[in-house]
Amino acid sequence: MFFKKKLKSYKLTHPSPSSSLPNNPKIQPENRLLKELKGNLGNIQHQLGNSSDIIIREIRIGKDESINAGIIYTDGLTDTTSLQQFIMKALMTDFSKAKEKEKLVPQQNLIELLKDMALAVGEIKNVTDFDTLYVSLLSGDTIFLVDGFDQGLIVGNKKWEERGVTEPTSQTVVRGPREGFSENLRINTALVRRKIKDPNLWMETKVIGTSTKTDVAIMYINGIVNEKIVKEVKERLDRIQIDGILESGNIEELIQDSTVSPFPTILNTERPDVVAAALLDGRIALIIDGTPFVLIVPALFVQFFQSPEDYYHRAYISSLIRLLRFFSYGIALLAPSLFIALTTFHLEMIPTALLINLAAQREGVPFPAFVEALIMEITFEILREAGARMPRSIGPTMSIVGAFVIGTAAVEAGMITSTIVIVVSITAISSFVSPSYDIAIAVRMLRFLMMGLAASFGLFGIALGLFSIVLHLCSLRSFGIPYMSPLAPFNLADQKDTFIRLPIWKMVTRPSLINQQNMIKQKATTKSTSIEKKS
Amino acid sequence: MKKIIFLLMLTTLFLSGCWDKRELNEISITMGIGIDELDDQFVVTAQAVVPSEVSVKGSTGGSPVTLFKGEGETIVEAVRQLSVITPRVIYPGHLRILVISESVAEKGLGDTLDFFERNWELRSDFYIVIARDMTAEEILSVTTAIESIPANKIFNTLNISDENWSASNVVTLDQLLGDIASLGKDAVISGIKITGDSEIGQNKENVTSVTPVARIQLNGLGVFKKDKLVGWLTEKESKGYKLITNQVKRTITILSCPSSGTISIELLREKAKIKAKVVNGTPEVEVSISSEANISEVTCQIDLTQKETIDKLEEIYSEELKEIVQGTIRTLQEDYSADILGFGNAIHRADPETWKELKRDWEQQFSSLQVNVKVDAKLRRIGTIVNSYQKTREE
Repeated sequence: MFFKKKLKSYKLTHPSPSSSLPNNPKIQPENRLLKELKGNLGNIQHQLGNSSDIIIREIRIGKDESINAGIIYTDGLTDTTSLQQFIMKALMTDFSKAKEKEKLVPQQNLIELLKDMALAVGEIKNVTDFDTLYVSLLSGDTIFLVDGFDQGLIVGNKKWEERGVTEPTSQTVVRGPREGFSENLRINTALVRRKIKDPNLWMETKVIGTSTKTDVAIMYINGIVNEKIVKEVKERLDRIQIDGILESGNIEELIQDSTVSPFPTILNTERPDVVAAALLDGRIALIIDGTPFVLIVPALFVQFFQSPEDYYHRAYISSLIRLLRFFSYGIALLAPSLFIALTTFHLEMIPTALLINLAAQREGVPFPAFVEALIMEITFEILREAGARMPRSIGPTMSIVGAFVIGTAAVEAGMITSTIVIVVSITAISSFVSPSYDIAIAVRMLRFLMMGLAASFGLFGIALGLFSIVLHLCSLRSFGIPYMSPLAPFNLADQKDTFIRLPIWKMVTRPSLINQQNMIKQKATTKSTSIEKKS
Repeated sequence: MKKIIFLLMLTTLFLSGCWDKRELNEISITMGIGIDELDDQFVVTAQAVVPSEVSVKGSTGGSPVTLFKGEGETIVEAVRQLSVITPRVIYPGHLRILVISESVAEKGLGDTLDFFERNWELRSDFYIVIARDMTAEEILSVTTAIESIPANKIFNTLNISDENWSASNVVTLDQLLGDIASLGKDAVISGIKITGDSEIGQNKENVTSVTPVARIQLNGLGVFKKDKLVGWLTEKESKGYKLITNQVKRTITILSCPSSGTISIELLREKAKIKAKVVNGTPEVEVSISSEANISEVTCQIDLTQKETIDKLEEIYSEELKEIVQGTIRTLQEDYSADILGFGNAIHRADPETWKELKRDWEQQFSSLQVNVKVDAKLRRIGTIVNSYQKTREE
């Protein structure tokens, strides 16, 4: 309740920051292309501030080279080979020799003629206003203008240097596909298409960002997806009025349900197989140009503990490993706070031998257990952050310093006990078990809160903290779906893929709540038991 | 407004503070407490662990435990009086053993135990023993080898002896208080004493020499009537007590052979039942014991391959057990008239009406109670060899 209220007040006092930016208006008179080529080129040059990567080439074509034309493209974003091969050469050499050359007289509709006959390029379209021209030009298309016409041609021959399909770095698996998304939207959509060859796999692209004009593809399987959620996603995307989208994280923050929560309500992945599986469940994928991280909505709490590998290994080990993940998550959240609570409030709960051992370690250690744990946790966070930010080549030095300073020297100097080093290490390792980085970040923050509660009230404080966290989790929603489902509200059928994963042949239905149409995933008995019985 | 109320509620949480927070280096872990009396005053001895000496590294060769002594009119006063000596707060949460001197036990435990039951810091799973013929302080002063913390050593000895010898009794606080409060069953506590020179036993030499000069050892069972110690059972009688109350886990019985030598029989399983019935207003108790045992040592010339021999041995063994049990009952009835066996409870269960009559003068009734003993013993295994190798050689 508290969180909700805060959220409301936030929304009231902070009107959408970008609402004052103008919408794309209808073509203004001054926005139209001029008839004179010189004027057009001068306009472009002026508008783009004579940028050095904008190449403007003036050529002469037609009978007696009597027609002036201009080719404009952005160097580095355009395929210069095809530019020379199919545009320049076609217009200047091949075309001039041909009979058609006779037809090229200024009075005719030159543009249509060239479009239909001369330019051997797949993607080509007309342009009449400067706004569209700039977007295309800066996306890497080549613009072709002819003197005397107030329209031009956009020739689609984008090509730039990019990373190919490589193995994803954030969600690695032992068994499973090795391909990962890259920065190119087309490659990414193609990767998903290659997995789902269903005509019902629909895609809708929106351009978001007044400056960046980032393509955002909304992908779903029609007939499985819950259409209400699709509508909601589109509405939320349309509401975005911002100058730039640089990563899917920007979109995530702008469209998520609750802004005040440490827990993520949108899943991101680098893996096409995860996206494919989510689409088949009736979820919606948002592929954003320029980032390999694809968003999946709606995302539930338990989903962050499901690794793609769970479905590639046998059900038994997958179930056990998944239980292990939930357990580790608990450790990552609670280990230091439990240690503090037990050693300062509930000594009687520690076995005698261990208690004496701990007491012996604490002899001469100057700080209370809480301060000790806090120092170690903060040191670890510093190390972790440094490890993520620093240049790769310094890595080994760093780990030596970290391991040596924290692990050995601090204990030997008598500043901290070696037990706290063990506790912090276990906590750190446990926090890396969750397949999703985002859900691990949540406990990374909450851990400190729990430690404070444990130091103040012991186990009572921990119970208090856990209670608040559960309450908060139950109040969250992801695109209208309760975040904690299928646990709260409880759904027996969906337990098949929550804490444990039942064998594939047991998973007959898709998760309810997510999709309310076409629930059946497979025919009830795909398992080949009938053959076994016969023999 | 609601926000203010919420914040106010939040502050109340923090007002409670960390009032019972104790850092590990602010407490002294007390594992043994001894209670003596001196001129109508209680003397409380606390055996506190010196953690750095117990831990694997960092031991400087000092004593692993240290004793603190306080005096007072009541136990609490004596315990609080400890604070004038101790460098840290006494923390009894991990108490293993409570040693009560014989003289205190003879005057009655009722007043002594109240504190231990009432104090929330204590777990009730520590054992209680009676220091026989010496003060509790002396018991707690002896150094011990292997288990460097003496309180731990006593605790472990009680456990091991209970499992393998069955002549001592493991009593926790709640059991003891239950027995004291119950009319139909009296309490039993193991005795403990030091053999050897207890003066030298306090020193480090005691554990550095191969044969310790002084050892702590369990000795007999103290019989209580209400909360007062009235006498002691011998080792054999103690075994009888354990047999009747169905507590024997393993024990050894030695039978003499017809010619010479002995046969040791190890009891492995026993099932004892106490059944009471009232015939014409007079109560009668039947103790039936069935047990299974192994032959574990043979030094006489008998042929174990013969079924008759085994049958005969079973018969003799049953007789022996019966004798032990009857001896115990006799001592209890004649010498102490203390019903530590729970016969009163058995009668209570069998015939509550009669019990109402009997319980008024149960002490006298117990002494003249008719007790029938039935023993059925079976020998199951004779070990990895059949006959004694001496016998084999003769053949």
